[in-house]
Amino acid sequence: MKRIIIADDSATARMFIRRCLEIIGLSDAEYVEVENGKEALAAAKEKMPDILLTDLNMPVMDGETLLKWVKASPKLCELPVIVITSAGNPAKEAQLLKLGARQVINKPVSPPVMLKALQDFLDN
Amino acid sequence: MLKHKPLYQAMQQAVSQTLENMAFTEVLEHFDPDYEIPATELVWTSLLISDPVQGEIRLAMSKTLLENLTATIFALELEEISPAQSKDIINELLNTIAGLFMTKLLEDDQSYAIGLPHTGEGALPKLEETSIAWKLMTADEEPLQLFAVGTSLVALNASAE
Repeated sequence: MKRIIIADDSATARMFIRRCLEIIGLSDAEYVEVENGKEALAAAKEKMPDILLTDLNMPVMDGETLLKWVKASPKLCELPVIVITSAGNPAKEAQLLKLGARQVINKPVSPPVMLKALQDFLDN
Repeated sequence: MLKHKPLYQAMQQAVSQTLENMAFTEVLEHFDPDYEIPATELVWTSLLISDPVQGEIRLAMSKTLLENLTATIFALELEEISPAQSKDIINELLNTIAGLFMTKLLEDDQSYAIGLPHTGEGALPKLEETSIAWKLMTADEEPLQLFAVGTSLVALNASAE
């Protein structure tokens, strides 16, 4: 069973993301929902997830800092990180991809966009 | 000089795209450009834009509209909605609208920074003379309004390239 961590301070956003993931075939996954980057790191260190989806604008620890921490961690550096954000544009996307994000998706998310972003993850 | 696209259109497109995608709700221009949401019916939230311009965006709507949107998005009956869910919905709507707005407004190679939304209490703060307002409504004629405040943000409306 795949383990998926969703990090976003908005319960609405987490619900949308999870709904999209379930629609594209991940209804049987174990979902861990957290409200900031610090909680996401703790959850990932407790039990390695298969994928981490994170917002950018979050209190305590934002998504960009979370991404940097994940990619700097010997234990977590191979973890695929998908950034789902309202604060993205091509310039920001390029910056996040350079930091190691697997994909950057702009809000509002939709199942077709999520499917396209996670196709190789689903295939594996 | 900062390159950007027309500000007014960017916001209209951002609002339409967000409400249609998140809540299957069409948004139109309000038939009364001077319409004010009654204080007893008003809910609102705001966030700051810090880069490359400085300003604030406020989202206001009627309580009825917020309840309907919350029920639609969470697939709940109206009586099942909690205040926390409604607060989260209006904040996430503004968060999404603001991000889309800035993406549509600026050139692709221009990054930006926006803050976290915070719900307001009571009446909306008084607008500055230079503020820009978008007076909108849903197909059910429920009001939805946005305001852009801040000299450098609002100045983009006059200098669109």
